[in-house]
Amino acid sequence: MARMKFVCDSERCIECNGCVTACKNENEVPWGVNRRRVVTLNDGVPGEKSISVACMHCSDAPCMAVCPVQCFYRTDEGVVLHDKDVCIGCGYCSYACPFGAPQFPSQGTFGMRGKMDKCTFCAGGPEANGSQAEFEKYGRNRLAEGKLPACAEMCSTKALIAGDGDVVADIFRTRVVQRGKGAEVWGWGTAYGSKVAGEAPTNGVKK
Amino acid sequence: QTSAQPAAAPAGVQSQNIFEVKPEASAAPGYLSQSNGERNKVQPGNNAPMWRQVSGGVTGYSSLPASEAPEAGNLIQRFVQYPGSRFTNAGEAWRQVRNELLIPYGAALLFVTLLAALIFHFAHGPITLHSPETGRKIERFTPFERATHWSNAIAFVTLALSGIVMAFGKFFLLPWMGGALFGWLTYGLKNIHNFMGPLFVLTTVFMIVTFIRSNWPSAEDWRWFKKGGGLFGGTEPPSHRFNAGEKVVFWGGVLFLGSIVIGSGLYLDKLVPGVVYLRGNMQVAHMIHAAAALLMMALIMGHIYLGTLGMKGAFKAMRHGEVDETWAREHHKLWYDDIVAGKIPAQRSGAQPAARPPGVEGLST
Amino acid sequence: MLLTPRKSGSGAGASAPASPFIHSLRRGLANALPTLDRRTFLRRSGIGVGVGLAASQLTLMRKAIAADGAQPAIGAGKVEVRRTVCTHCSVGCASDAVVENGVWVRQEPVFDSPLNLGAHCAKGAALREHGHGEYRLRYPMKLVNGKYERITWDQALDEVTARLKELRQASGPDSVYWIGSSKHSNEQSYLLRKFVSFFGSNNCDHQARICHSTTVAGVANTWGYGAMTNSYNDMRNAKVALYIGSNAAEAHPVSMLHMLHAKENGCKMIVVDPRFTRTAAKADEFVRIRSGSDIPFLFGILFHIFKNGWEDKKYINDRVFGMDKVREDVLAKWTPDKVEEACGVSEAQVLKCATWLNENRPGTIVWCMGQTQHTIGNAMVRASCILQLALGNVGKSGGGTNIFRGHDNVQGATDVGPNPDSLPGYYGIVEGSWKHFANAWGVDFEWIKKQFASPAMMSKPGITVSRWIDGVLEKNELIDQDSNLRGVVYWGHAPNSQTRGLEMKKAMDKLDLLVVIDPYPSATAAMAAMPGTDVNPKRAVYLLPACTQFETSGSVTASNRSLQWREKVIEPLWESRSDHMLMYQLAQKLGFGAELVKNYKMQKVKGLDEPVPDDILREINKCCWTIGYTGQSPERLQAHMRNMGAFDVRTLKAKGPLKDKVNGYDISGDYFGLPWPCYGTPELKHPGSPNLYDTSKHVMDGGGNFRANFGVERAGVNLLAEDGSHSVGADITTGYPELDHLLLKKLGWWDELSEAEKKAAEGKNWKTDPTGAMIRVFMKGHGCHPFGNAKARAVVWNFPDAIPQHREPLYGIRPDLVAKYPAHDDKAAFWRLPTLYKSVQQKNIADKLHEKFPLIMTSGRLVEYEGGGEETRSNPWLAELQQEMFVEINPKVAAEKGIRNGERAWVHTPTGAKLNVQALVTERVGPDTVFLPFHFSGRWQGADMLAYYPTGAAPVVRGEAVNTATTYGYDSVTMMQETKTTVCNIEKA
Ligand SMILES: Nc1nc2c(c(=O)[nH]1)N[C@H]1C(S)=C(S)[C@@H](COP(=O)(O)OP(=O)(O)OC[C@H]3O[C@@H](n4cnc5c(=O)[nH]c(N)nc54)[C@H](O)[C@@H]3O)O[C@H]1N2
Ligand SMILES: Nc1nc2c(c(=O)[nH]1)N[C@H]1C(S)=C(S)[C@@H](COP(=O)(O)OP(=O)(O)OC[C@H]3O[C@@H](n4cnc5c(=O)[nH]c(N)nc54)[C@H](O)[C@@H]3O)O[C@H]1N2
Ligand code: HEM
Ligand code: HEM
Ligand code: SF4
Ligand code: SF4
Ligand code: SF4
Ligand code: SF4
Ligand code: SF4
Ligand SMILES: [Mo]
Repeated sequence: MARMKFVCDSERCIECNGCVTACKNENEVPWGVNRRRVVTLNDGVPGEKSISVACMHCSDAPCMAVCPVQCFYRTDEGVVLHDKDVCIGCGYCSYACPFGAPQFPSQGTFGMRGKMDKCTFCAGGPEANGSQAEFEKYGRNRLAEGKLPACAEMCSTKALIAGDGDVVADIFRTRVVQRGKGAEVWGWGTAYGSKVAGEAPTNGVKK
Repeated sequence: QTSAQPAAAPAGVQSQNIFEVKPEASAAPGYLSQSNGERNKVQPGNNAPMWRQVSGGVTGYSSLPASEAPEAGNLIQRFVQYPGSRFTNAGEAWRQVRNELLIPYGAALLFVTLLAALIFHFAHGPITLHSPETGRKIERFTPFERATHWSNAIAFVTLALSGIVMAFGKFFLLPWMGGALFGWLTYGLKNIHNFMGPLFVLTTVFMIVTFIRSNWPSAEDWRWFKKGGGLFGGTEPPSHRFNAGEKVVFWGGVLFLGSIVIGSGLYLDKLVPGVVYLRGNMQVAHMIHAAAALLMMALIMGHIYLGTLGMKGAFKAMRHGEVDETWAREHHKLWYDDIVAGKIPAQRSGAQPAARPPGVEGLST
Repeated sequence: MLLTPRKSGSGAGASAPASPFIHSLRRGLANALPTLDRRTFLRRSGIGVGVGLAASQLTLMRKAIAADGAQPAIGAGKVEVRRTVCTHCSVGCASDAVVENGVWVRQEPVFDSPLNLGAHCAKGAALREHGHGEYRLRYPMKLVNGKYERITWDQALDEVTARLKELRQASGPDSVYWIGSSKHSNEQSYLLRKFVSFFGSNNCDHQARICHSTTVAGVANTWGYGAMTNSYNDMRNAKVALYIGSNAAEAHPVSMLHMLHAKENGCKMIVVDPRFTRTAAKADEFVRIRSGSDIPFLFGILFHIFKNGWEDKKYINDRVFGMDKVREDVLAKWTPDKVEEACGVSEAQVLKCATWLNENRPGTIVWCMGQTQHTIGNAMVRASCILQLALGNVGKSGGGTNIFRGHDNVQGATDVGPNPDSLPGYYGIVEGSWKHFANAWGVDFEWIKKQFASPAMMSKPGITVSRWIDGVLEKNELIDQDSNLRGVVYWGHAPNSQTRGLEMKKAMDKLDLLVVIDPYPSATAAMAAMPGTDVNPKRAVYLLPACTQFETSGSVTASNRSLQWREKVIEPLWESRSDHMLMYQLAQKLGFGAELVKNYKMQKVKGLDEPVPDDILREINKCCWTIGYTGQSPERLQAHMRNMGAFDVRTLKAKGPLKDKVNGYDISGDYFGLPWPCYGTPELKHPGSPNLYDTSKHVMDGGGNFRANFGVERAGVNLLAEDGSHSVGADITTGYPELDHLLLKKLGWWDELSEAEKKAAEGKNWKTDPTGAMIRVFMKGHGCHPFGNAKARAVVWNFPDAIPQHREPLYGIRPDLVAKYPAHDDKAAFWRLPTLYKSVQQKNIADKLHEKFPLIMTSGRLVEYEGGGEETRSNPWLAELQQEMFVEINPKVAAEKGIRNGERAWVHTPTGAKLNVQALVTERVGPDTVFLPFHFSGRWQGADMLAYYPTGAAPVVRGEAVNTATTYGYDSVTMMQETKTTVCNIEKA
């Protein structure tokens, strides 16, 4: 069974934010909610690298583990989704998530954050695939349409690759061999419990 | 015109980088302290320094404004070791503390406290009076004091129940109620918790102001402690208006734990002005809040037990404000002596006992 | 924690779509691995079929809720996919718009596009927001007592034309200035040039002036055409790439897709810039130069090349004129010490770059605004050309000068649009050309002539957009036309993109008429409505809502010269009207409506007549022979758009045979978008020219050679190419002049024309032969190039500096260097205006300006915003990503000034302007330089301009415009403004 994963190739990412607006566009994400963002390290000095980050759909997802109402679930494709009808907006997932993926529509005085929103791997939510309700709550369900996430599809340099972890890892590996450098994959160790793209999770904390 | 490809490069590897660099970059002095730029110069494509930064939780550049997304530049939360967690990224560490420490041990604590109360109740039975009641009443709590106490108690119980559902509900309620219903319930309780919190702050302040004088420690408290409050045999040591046990509830529970719960709660509620709310701080606040709240719940559970089933006449005191002289003499001897001596008036509120309908007294006996 | 299965209730949906998807992914894996072509991967894995699939899935999706004011959808509930092209830069990324009930509901990547393979940067990925248009001007407005009031279209058109007529009557047609747009389609830009001609004036211009005018002039004068020689795609073939003055990662992000691919195959990348840009971050070598010192650096490289004999001697002998002179000059003047002194780059680093360029061929050079926006921009770009000529890199795949153009259609608008010194196709404004066009337009030459103030004005280049403010403010006796400018029409151009904002405000106040035709006219509107000191009491200001390119159809020319056809995505939003409809409507009221649209059919749009874009393109096809805009018929372009997948990503060539299903055109052998020159008539089936001057290909396969445009000899030296350096298969193997009827007769090929063709061609040359038959005979029959075969010019004797010379900017911080490299002498009448160089520079030194303003101030782009930015700052998806105007300051300077990251700072410049901006303390800039993005407007020297905007039309994000504070300075050939190098000082706010 396919296991959906993201790879952001920092040798390629140019911080163009194409992935970010692609997501806003496809999922009608409101101002203030950033399902995806781009981070640049060593900004402005040699060695600078940019990385696009969203929910990594972790193997052993910390968000899922801490949710008081257990509104997360994982699809057959390994996508970590959640049910906004059940979410109480407590913010715990955002404390637990290593990547800062969970977002909230409001600032949260009196803990009023609203329902959590995060990257769905463009796989919608618990509502019927392609339904109006699903779209309004979670955005498009591209996977159900046989498409890959909008952000990755539109990435300007194909730095961001999304899809079946094996395919993605192979594309990335081929690229690394081709250029002979830049083998590290951002976030895979943390998200999937392995340092190397495509390797089975080894040090994942299971509970 | 030469091509960029050294003959030695294996098929498929067309970049100059890793094969052209001689001598080994790792031979360079200070290899380990190189910045990513320096490393890229001697070893193109080796971004180890940058990855170290990432896992070190270094915050990079993000064009999103800091006021809206203060942590947008952070890729992976920094590594920490919270008490009880492994050394790992903060989110994961917090998850370990909450899920592997606070939740199971918290549950155990509450459970054990409950159990202890039950055992005490059935093994020892409630604390009763040794002499018959006199029928003469002493005003123990003024209406104001009672109002303060009960509003505080209501707020606390609400907070505790909602907090318990948030923390443990998914283990005992969710399987029973199902996701949707449990979601709605918890959503409601969580919001109640978030708004009740600040109310509790207010009532707690009143509590402290109201009861601090009578809870001032005195020499007798020590003696009371040494005898275990007479709970496990022996006579109950004399005490002033509140005994040492009650003072522990006051100082340790209301004041100390209360302040901690309140402080961390206000932070979690994002009500503290002029601070930045970062995930790391929220985690710490949460751990403190949950730990203190659990201890406090355990303590107050004991208090509630004594205030209701555990000690005959106590509840009446808080309900109607009056106790029988016998009750006063047996449980709070020094306080009783002072009243008898006229140092403390037997009736402190404006309401005269005669003004009360007599039937009430009879009913409440 | 258990993995929770997908909730029931969606169970049926959950399993069904998963399996085919996963299977196809696996299939994709098997096939995709050997190559790295993600497009193939995606297409094979069934994802590229997205469009059809999208349509089939759409029934489930949100029933589009028709936007307020939108026409009731034709065939309600219908879902259509319309192919369009991003309007935000010259890369030309294609995008599929999914339209339901007339509402643009989704945007899908076009994996088939060989230009972008589905990729988009932030702007392209946010295109659909144009279909919301919430912050757009909704209806015509007029400034009444300082406030914009709504008026009807009829009133607007009546009043505007009445005013125009008044001005024309009172002060002549040259008193009105028309600022066209590089955002117009080819058809609209062309029509606007025609419109202004019929109005009787050459006073028109567009963004190219302040963008690549120096490139166009410099490059065209070097070898023929002033355009990108190769393509983004062809950069995949490069072995080394020198980016100098281009920040492609932010300005042409999707071009990086191709470059990074090249890099992965071993191409070395050098970036030369005053800033460590996002592009520099991807480079193998970053060279920090002082802004304005490109020539010292380029000639510093050339020094090493000549010294070591690395130049391509045979190539130079055969195909280049004057390299020996350049060699002498460079070896004498640009020794490593001088280079380091002038641009700050060490000998070792320059040598390293030279060595790389020598060892890795073919190599390409990329430049953009870093080179063009200087008083010596024309010389800088020529220095780049000379470097490539010396290396023998031009006319080769993987080589060339890859000049990244700016706006989505700045190339097309330059080629066929409103230029003050030429007619469409770069035909000069001489009588012969006017007659050629009178013929093509089907109007009488004499009639056009009568429209002008005088025959002399007909061939006098107009004022440039960079200087319109001087056309208003300059003393009348000093300007080279009768009246000062009294009316200005901003037709798709922002005000904050031209320098000297303080003076622009004065000029705006002095006008009698200001008309803004734009979907987002608000930057100009707010500036005009802002209280001024000396406002002309009779001034009238009108705002007319134009629609965007998504609300009409037409062709657009990408940087690589490929033309793409945009389908109409949605009907015009609100009350907006298309630009060509407005041209027609204004022309009607001005009395030349019938003449303007003589050759076009009309179509109804929201009940009104609009000229059919296809017909306008057909007219362009009939007259723009010079640059080969003649082969790109709408049918051919549309067939290309529908069959993008057939074109190869590396070569852009169609793998045929493939007949288009709709119009039956067979695209095989064509290059994508028929990159101009696509010579002759569409029937000739010239495939377009992927790489210019490429002798390794037959001319009928897009091959070519340098143009013979400057005579056949110069001071006894042959200017034509040497023997043997001709394009493959040419019957003439020596150099030859351009084709005219005499040459054809001399060669004995005249009889290959039919009788009718002979009649039409008699006395004509290839540029004026109305049937294009001479071209057919020359190219198809004999493999020869109609523009001749000559040498490129390393020495351009008709330019102020025949050999490019370094000259210091007018405003600089290095008085010591000004002594050695002084500016040009002042000019009295240059593009109708007096233009100062040396006197300004000398005065600045006398005033010790470098002490008061010790920092070099440069400006440029952010990936999220485009141009003046009103359009992109009105798009919330983009605006959220850049909410503050800022200045980049080096930490050292910031420490000296006591400014910390994120704090406010004042930027002062010699114009007296001050900008209140956020400080971004970063090592991107060196300690002598600060950088400001130029996309902001809506704040004016610390004050918010919100109150002056038309209600509801203010953009989401506002900030100080850098051009409020920029200084004087114009290129000595084209009047390009000197935006990249000026000075400022900074203090904590
Ligand atoms: N996101 C975005 N993309 C755009 C546009 C946009 O507005 N936004 N506009 C489009 C247009 S119209 C254009 S023309 C292009 C422009 O594209 P670019 O020219 O690539 O962009 P700029 O940022 O203007 O300038 C490029 C670089 O020139 C550097 N520079 C400054 N002075 C000098 C100098 O003296 N010498 C050298 N070598 N470099 C110097 C600057 O530091 C800057 O990094 O972008 C197009 N694409
Ligand atoms: N300081 C500084 N100044 C610069 C530069 C710099 O680097 N630094 N760069 C210069 C360069 S290279 C350029 S190209 C210019 C760019 O500057 P401008 O071209 O002035 O900036 P834009 O905002 O892109 O202006 C285009 C206008 O056209 C409108 N528009 C869009 N589509 C249509 C349409 O279909 N019809 C009509 N009628 N209008 C439409 C938009 O709303 C917008 O108002 O700026 C120049 N100015
Ligand atoms: C004194 C009585 C209180 C008790 C017993 C209590 C208990 C709890 C418990 C058990 C949790 C859940 C922890 C978890 O699920 O891991 C919690 C969370 C929380 N409490 Fe309290 N709490 C008390 C008071 C307060 C106060 C006074 C405030 C605020 C002023 C407050 C604000 C919060 C907040 C904001 C949360 C986080 C959960 C959310 O936002 O939904 N609490 N509390
Ligand atoms: C339903 C819950 C509660 C019940 C039935 C209850 C009962 C009582 C009773 C009967 C007394 C009187 C004891 C005496 O006369 O000596 C009392 C006193 C007191 N209670 Fe409670 N109580 C409850 C909850 C709380 C809570 C939540 C708090 C604080 C967080 C609290 C704090 C106090 C304090 C401070 C006193 C005064 C004695 C002292 O200062 O030690 N009670 N309570
Ligand atoms: S990235 Fe964060 S939100 Fe996404 S699955 Fe992992 S922990 Fe959860
Ligand atoms: S915010 Fe919602 S999803 Fe996140 S942990 Fe709380 S209830 Fe779960
Ligand atoms: S996968 Fe979809 S939801 Fe997630 S970041 Fe990408 S576009 Fe947004
Ligand atoms: S679109 Fe691609 S290159 Fe651009 S920021 Fe996102 S991941 Fe990086
Ligand atoms: S702005 Fe340029 S690079 Fe970005 S999507 Fe549009 S055309 Fe492509
Ligand atoms: Mo431009």
